[in-house]
Amino acid sequence: MSTYVARHRLLRGTAVIAGLAFAGTAQAQSGTAAGTVVTNSASASYSVNGVNQTKTSNTVTFKVDRKVNLTLIADQPANTEVAVSQSAAVLKFRLTNSTNGVQDFLLTANQGVLLNGDNFDVANLKIYVDDGDGIYDAAKDTLEFVNELAADTSIAIFVVADIPADQAAQLANVTLNAQVAEGGSASTTVAGAALTQSLTNDDQVVDVVFADADTVPRDGRAFATLGYAITTRDVTLTVVKSSTVISDPINGLVVPKAIPGAVVQYCLIVNNATLLTPANGVNITDTIPANTTYVPGSITVGGIPLLGACVLGTPMNDSGAPVALSPYTASYNAGTKLVTATIPQLNGLQTLGVTFQVTIN
Amino acid sequence: MTLRILLAVVMAAIPLVTGPLAARPAGQAARAGGPLEITSSMMVERRSAAADGTTRVTLVKPTRVSPGDRIIFVLAYHNVGTQPLSDVVLANPLPRAIAYRSASPGSPAPEVSVDGKTYGALAALRMPALDGSTRAAGADDVTHVRWRIATPLAAGAQGQFAFQAVLK
Repeated sequence: MSTYVARHRLLRGTAVIAGLAFAGTAQAQSGTAAGTVVTNSASASYSVNGVNQTKTSNTVTFKVDRKVNLTLIADQPANTEVAVSQSAAVLKFRLTNSTNGVQDFLLTANQGVLLNGDNFDVANLKIYVDDGDGIYDAAKDTLEFVNELAADTSIAIFVVADIPADQAAQLANVTLNAQVAEGGSASTTVAGAALTQSLTNDDQVVDVVFADADTVPRDGRAFATLGYAITTRDVTLTVVKSSTVISDPINGLVVPKAIPGAVVQYCLIVNNATLLTPANGVNITDTIPANTTYVPGSITVGGIPLLGACVLGTPMNDSGAPVALSPYTASYNAGTKLVTATIPQLNGLQTLGVTFQVTIN
Repeated sequence: MTLRILLAVVMAAIPLVTGPLAARPAGQAARAGGPLEITSSMMVERRSAAADGTTRVTLVKPTRVSPGDRIIFVLAYHNVGTQPLSDVVLANPLPRAIAYRSASPGSPAPEVSVDGKTYGALAALRMPALDGSTRAAGADDVTHVRWRIATPLAAGAQGQFAFQAVLK
């Protein structure tokens, strides 16, 4: 027994001095994977009375623990500039797994308190994980938690939300939170359970050690904030009107003249010149000129103009009744001689035409 | 003989050997036969505040080790035979995930090797570079350490060597 005590003391003596020797080496990479068993044994050679002998020591092992570290950053230079009523506006974040193991990450978002200019909340807020190309694609980027992110790799995360139709809105901050969860399951429908730090030091067991050094250190979580800034409150909508004589009773369709009985087609080209911002509920109205008669059923909407001239679109009902497969409606009021065309949504930079015809009395 | 038995009991009490013994023919059984006992252990430092305000550092079993942590490798030897042993060399190949740092204070510096063949002081070792030349070896390059005990080890003599390393 005395042997053991002596050795033990010796060991402690060494250690107290050793503690001051050097600071631990910081590693940029996550290092040896969690769960790796490190095994050591030594060997000895010696001679007794000239005879060489060898000897192998006992084998000692320990299991590398899970050193959890993660970073979450805003992955765009500034807030996302949006317009009132814009839908599916995107914020881009980037999550890096610096844990020495493959991890899932749980994602939540909360909208900032009304501080620092934040004065509204976005609607229909969703979080999607990128499929690897770094660009948000609603069809491909559908996973709502980070699945099996390898050590020392990162992935883009998108927050997608709708901007309310509130002209007073200016800024909405969204804070994305990422929490380290258990990896090891490839399931894309069920995320791993959130990791908690091991309370005990168990031998030969992979303990969980939170090592993140962010705002709230050692909590296995990270967060980052980005905002939606309203920069566009109105859109630049223009309407250009032109007319063309289609036919006359004498010449027919060949170089028709504007004589009584001639059919004149009016062309209204409407354009939304604002990038990315749709104009909703656009109503185009026009009163037919005096001394003309409306040609029943002649309204068309939705033709895409060619070289500044109207191309016929979808024929409309004069009654204003919806037309199958067309978002547009139009009507003609015989009393007021008013032609009305309704375009539910005219997207940013979209141009389309409205046409109707009259005959000259 | 009494000492031998006692030591065996102590070894059993400290569960340092957790690997499959069957896979190691040079394990416990073989060790009992030779006159030189060598015991390897890996320890980590734990810092705690002492009552007098200083920081006390103790060595504990490596139950919580994550990358970047320092590990102390201790190699204890004991001549349990009746004959002096000469030309004693204690060698420790480093586990792959371990990067050598330095000898522990209080322990003689080991000879180190970057290839398992040539041993010497770290400053004297060279590593081959991609372009065919060589560069000075660093602590990260060390793959083996060894100690040579110059004078014969008398019966009953014992001691230990230690070096510091980090988990990659």
